[in-house]
Amino acid sequence: MTKLLYAFLLVASVLIFTAQAQAQAIVIANPSVKSADVSKSDLREVFTGAASSLKDGSHVTPVLLKSGAAHDEFLTGYIGKNDTAFRAGWRSLVFSGQASMPKSLDSEAAVVEFVAHNPGAIGYISKATPHEGVKVIAVK
Amino acid sequence: MFKKHIISGMLAVLAISITLHAQEFKIGSKDVQVHGFGTQGFVHTNDNNWLTMNTSGTGSGAFTDAGLNLGAQITSNFRVGGQVYDRKLGQLGDWHPLLDWAMGDYRLKPWLGFRAGKVKTVLGLFTDSQDMDFANTFALLPQSVYPIDLRDASIAHLGGDIYGREKLGHNLGSIAYTAYGGRRSDNMHSGYPYLLSGIAGITLNSYGGPVFGGDLRWNPPVRGLTVGISRLNEMITGKGSYNGQLGIPAQPKYWENSKHDWTNQYYGRFVKDKLHAESEYRRYLRDQIIFSGLSWVETDIRGWYVGGGYQVNKWLEAGSYYSHYRIFPSGGAGVNASYPDAQTHDFDKVVTAKLTLKQYVTVKVEGHFMDGNGSALYPAGFYSNVNPNGFSANTNALVVRTGFSF
Repeated sequence: MTKLLYAFLLVASVLIFTAQAQAQAIVIANPSVKSADVSKSDLREVFTGAASSLKDGSHVTPVLLKSGAAHDEFLTGYIGKNDTAFRAGWRSLVFSGQASMPKSLDSEAAVVEFVAHNPGAIGYISKATPHEGVKVIAVK
Repeated sequence: MFKKHIISGMLAVLAISITLHAQEFKIGSKDVQVHGFGTQGFVHTNDNNWLTMNTSGTGSGAFTDAGLNLGAQITSNFRVGGQVYDRKLGQLGDWHPLLDWAMGDYRLKPWLGFRAGKVKTVLGLFTDSQDMDFANTFALLPQSVYPIDLRDASIAHLGGDIYGREKLGHNLGSIAYTAYGGRRSDNMHSGYPYLLSGIAGITLNSYGGPVFGGDLRWNPPVRGLTVGISRLNEMITGKGSYNGQLGIPAQPKYWENSKHDWTNQYYGRFVKDKLHAESEYRRYLRDQIIFSGLSWVETDIRGWYVGGGYQVNKWLEAGSYYSHYRIFPSGGAGVNASYPDAQTHDFDKVVTAKLTLKQYVTVKVEGHFMDGNGSALYPAGFYSNVNPNGFSANTNALVVRTGFSF
């Protein structure tokens, strides 16, 4: 019985930790993007190259992080792919002529900088990263 | 010695993959992206030489391809790009580089876009992405639907596409469409010209003609599910010379052309977490006047497969498919339309292990267990040119393929 309780607590801790980790990545966009929120499926379509605009008609250009915790959390929480599968999907679009590869930046500060200065840009960073000059998009 | 060359080739692919990375440079104020890919394969069969390689005996490493891609986003709606592709697959390709595609793409609205130039043809799930070894689970896609020896028969057209994507109301998901028209022009180092040179003494100088068709795919509100249908119509003319090998008098100005050629393809795919499963059915009907109007041939080719893969861990994906190929040949003078059963089908059971060594480097090890060789009248992987003593009914094959992309 005690073992069962420990197991339950362990699973619960993992779930809570995962949920918290998932919440750490936030979506940011250039202020020119009209939407204040985006559905998870619309976000997935934009970041997998299936769509290039949001529901309100705003044209958006995704920008990626090369790696890091926020990148992994974003892919796991919102896209549902690991990094290898995610980038293979984009390369498939590039090699078949259906899309250009999104910019991949080295740091979260660089993502904020790029998004702030490029109309239509949309990216993701950790919640704790300073993000002046961009708007935070809520994911529903 | 031979195996040493193969191992060296594969190690070279790995070494190249470590040194190459996606590049970007500027023309004016525009960023130009440079990407590329390449693969090196090895195929061994217990019987029958396969895919124009000398695969029986020690096996063959004449299985290499590469592509180089340049693209630039000119405005938020307009993009240009192009790709060069080259390959050596046994007797095919023969290191003659091709302009794979080169086009401009203008997306006016999410539901309306235009592509013009040499454009990859959308036909089923994988026609336009079949060369992207890194993205596929299998070293060889199901050959009943995606025959690698006939790659350039449907890979691209010179013309234009209208395409778009729209969400459906009432939570019915979304649909994507592509309609296209243009001209197909085959490489003379492809499977069909090679087959004709061997079995009929026909040397083609050109093979192609107008094509038009479309694709409609639906993503229902079940996440990860795609179903669709494609149609391709073709009016093909081949020109060359015929040496009289089949008893019909020689023709220095040989021609053949379509009476009625079309392809229908139906498909479905489901992707969830680490699992994917897909199935497609393709029917290709060729009804052609041959020998400069003296005879005719009809080949009704029906292929389907069901397969899937599972990502076991970060490095390993396991996959399997069953591929079913059947050809129904008939024809007039000079055409042997009566074939042993093994030459009218190829049922291929396949198991694969795909290793992702680095994000951009893959190694695949694949076993094929084939019943039949489908070698009647139209290319299906087995050619009399490299099997002069005839065919065995069954073939087992080991395929090892390593690739990189950047």
